[in-house]
Amino acid sequence: MAEVRYEAASRLYPGSEIPAVNELNLDIADGELLVLVGPSGSGKSTALRMLAGLETVTSGSIHINDVDVTLKPPQDRDIAMVFQNYALYPSMTVAENMGFALKQAKVSKEQRAEQVREAARILDLEPYLDRKPKNLSGGQRQRVAMGRAIVRSPQVFLMDEPLSNLDAKLRVQTRTELVDLQDRLDTTMVYVTHDQVEAMTMGHRVAVLKDGILQQVASPRELYRRPKNRFVAGFIGSPAMNLLDVDRADGQFALAGTTIELTDEMRAAAAAVDGTTFGVGVRPEHLKFTSSGSGIAGEVSVVEALGSESFLHVKVQHEGREQVLVVHEAGDTELVRGDNVTIVVDGPVHVFSPDGESV
Amino acid sequence: MATAVISHEEEVRRLQRREGWRRRLPILPALLFTIAVTQIPFLFTLFYSLTDWRIDTVDPRQFIGVENYTSLSGDKFFLDAAWVTVKMTVMAVLGSLIVGTGLALLLDRKFFGQGFIRTLLITPFLVMPVVAGFMWKTQMFNATFGVINWVLNTVGIDSIEFATKYPLASVVVVLIWQWSPFMMLIILAGLQGQDASVLEAARVDGATSWGTFRQITFPQLRPFLELGTLLGAIYLIQVYDHIEVIVGGQPGAKNLPFYIAQRSIGGGNRFGLASSYSIIVVIASIIIANIGLRVLSGLLEDDS
Repeated sequence: MAEVRYEAASRLYPGSEIPAVNELNLDIADGELLVLVGPSGSGKSTALRMLAGLETVTSGSIHINDVDVTLKPPQDRDIAMVFQNYALYPSMTVAENMGFALKQAKVSKEQRAEQVREAARILDLEPYLDRKPKNLSGGQRQRVAMGRAIVRSPQVFLMDEPLSNLDAKLRVQTRTELVDLQDRLDTTMVYVTHDQVEAMTMGHRVAVLKDGILQQVASPRELYRRPKNRFVAGFIGSPAMNLLDVDRADGQFALAGTTIELTDEMRAAAAAVDGTTFGVGVRPEHLKFTSSGSGIAGEVSVVEALGSESFLHVKVQHEGREQVLVVHEAGDTELVRGDNVTIVVDGPVHVFSPDGESV
Repeated sequence: MATAVISHEEEVRRLQRREGWRRRLPILPALLFTIAVTQIPFLFTLFYSLTDWRIDTVDPRQFIGVENYTSLSGDKFFLDAAWVTVKMTVMAVLGSLIVGTGLALLLDRKFFGQGFIRTLLITPFLVMPVVAGFMWKTQMFNATFGVINWVLNTVGIDSIEFATKYPLASVVVVLIWQWSPFMMLIILAGLQGQDASVLEAARVDGATSWGTFRQITFPQLRPFLELGTLLGAIYLIQVYDHIEVIVGGQPGAKNLPFYIAQRSIGGGNRFGLASSYSIIVVIASIIIANIGLRVLSGLLEDDS
């Protein structure tokens, strides 16, 4: 049982001027599954490795259960980590791999065997205990890496993109297994991924990082509904939110010539912000085709039919330039490339100030 | 227009035959040359070893069967030389392996001037064996001018004529000095082939640095250590230059190759007998080389 706290923790690599992780403040509750997500180079892995003790914290501190572990070596932190390439010990069998940490902790042989068997049972690894890692499939290796972590009953699980080397189908399956496992063990988990779908489906809360700076921490639903800034809005959601630069005219925002209805609240908030070029965002499912005539005129350029749903890319003329809006449609859409359509906004609109913050 | 009918199978067979020759032909000259300069002399040596040929008598060369071989078990000089060969090879291989591993472990970390230091450490391996022998004999071991004795003198110990007093040890020291870089390079390749995250995983799992080396690094290095041992043994079994230069004809450090040369072209003139020694060395080397190749192929299989 453990809670984790980053207090203004930074990591500055020697020879670099911009910290890889910049004053990260983050509270992770006991038993929580927190996902760190961001594009490559955002510092998410570095943040995790700082918690593991594999990366020096150049300023600030990290606490596990109110104990300052900033300067402690990894072996004194009671954490277990699953690496992206699994990092199994090649010369050891599956059982030896899983029992390695216990052996280092001088746990008796019988006790060790029992704990390894128990973990192997949970992960369906019993038939493979005597095999070497090289004789296992990718999915089995991934489970051994998991087993090596859970066999120790650590305070915190650290996962560094553990599913990215699996094929798409296995990834989805393992994702749900992992969520279920974390829920049963009720152990705090910090999970790093670049895949926003993984972040949204797994995390109790999701922390979005960019350039080493924490952008927003919130539940997946909150992140999706109320992104704090333009980066989060564009990063979370698949396909991404339609985000266009819009010049404010007479306190109004127009998307491809059509004025957008804003709530009074948003209009007031936007009025309080200076500047002309704002960001306006609408999710694909909040755009609809209409036959009544009034709306944004466009031409279908791509139809992505996924079976249960479709996404249509529509070319529109926005402020003198051609832009593409993605519109969500039912799976059985009859629209094809080249069709002329009219789009209306049917749902929440996000407005971002010139400096990218949500208004 | 009566064209011969060629079946599809026949056509495929012809293509394959042509393809086979297309591959064989380019290496054929090299193969023939290698056979001419290695296998034919070997057959001559095999024949000589069955004769009593010596060039300092007028008696004609006589075929004496395996007598040269049967007399080996009672030939004290041969047995001495064989024993020295074993001692010299084992000590030089083990010594250079230990020093090489130590150097490799030190080099397998980031520090300023790493590339420069590595180049410096390799240089002994690039020195010609004869030059290395002379350097050590005249500049290190020499009782009057040698560096080692100068150091000993400054701490109050009398000069030692190393090459005379400890001939075998002197040669072995020079061999270790020359061959440690070779071992270092092989072990370094093994160390750098290690997955960094595996070592990190061991740290997270609570292993000490010695524990990590013993339980993770060493098992991964094993094939590289075996490879170094076998390649080193194949070369070091045939050392000649160092012995000739450092201890010359003195007893105590004569290995088989040196003794063979002494017995034949070096003045002994007993070519028949020396040939039988050579055959023994060749057989021993082939056995070692075979084990070596098997280890090497095992190493390559592991990778794929």
